[in-house]
Amino acid sequence: MQPTAEEAAQALRDIARVKHRAAGFQDYRAESGQLILWGLAYVAGFALTACFRDHILPIWIIVILAAMTMGIRLARRSGAGSAVAWRYIGVIGTIILFSLALNLVFWPLTPEQGAMLAPMLLAALYILRGIQLRPRYTLIGLMLGTLCMFGYLFLLPVFWAWMALACGGTLILSGLWLRGR
Amino acid sequence: MQTPDEIIHQPVRLKIMAALNTLETGQWLEFVALRSIVQATDGNLGAHLATLETAGYVLLKKDFAARKPRTRACLSRAGREAFNRYVIALQAILMPQNVDAEAWESKRDSHE
Repeated sequence: MQPTAEEAAQALRDIARVKHRAAGFQDYRAESGQLILWGLAYVAGFALTACFRDHILPIWIIVILAAMTMGIRLARRSGAGSAVAWRYIGVIGTIILFSLALNLVFWPLTPEQGAMLAPMLLAALYILRGIQLRPRYTLIGLMLGTLCMFGYLFLLPVFWAWMALACGGTLILSGLWLRGR
Repeated sequence: MQTPDEIIHQPVRLKIMAALNTLETGQWLEFVALRSIVQATDGNLGAHLATLETAGYVLLKKDFAARKPRTRACLSRAGREAFNRYVIALQAILMPQNVDAEAWESKRDSHE
């Protein structure tokens, strides 16, 4: 039997709703892996920085390169096309260039000030992404930004250990939160 | 005017087809994920997936991941085509001339 116009409209609305939900589900799933990966990278980076403060630059070069390689592999495995590698390099490259530019503008920066740049940019990006797309990203950004800022303002003596937990830990927990959706 | 596919028109099956249609070719969706998107119970989802598989619209793959049984689903080519035809049929019903005809028929029925 032919559906009525009302039934047809309802069916099209259902399709749009499911499409939106499925897109959100897949987006959160793909993001969760990346959050956990970069969370682990930040834990490793800040923990190593706390132990070997004279080698900040080589530590972070190795950590970022390793995380990027694994991140690209992870993105490809989650069904993204081959062009994902260039997009990935573009995103990470932009964050690095932004941090470098701010370092140049505000030079000289203390290592603690320099270490705040990437996490704060990341927090801002997640808040904006959440406002535009999906609300959970806003909460992740707010949590990340607040905890990092709190450490910088009030916990400077234990700054590196705090950042390992606040930045790396927040990203790992956020990844698990999105996965369990 | 083309009549929408009766197999797809059932609400839960429609949601299943819509969810699987968002996947790219060669991509599979886990049963657990599908259940969460469609918001159906295990038994209900399983029964409707079986109907769609019998109709040739859905492909099911059962394997093990980390020693746990896992069921994944995706649309077959026939399923993707049927879903596209279904959406076109729905849109056709909502075309102004068809909506007007339906309103006229219902008005006529109420007068009779």
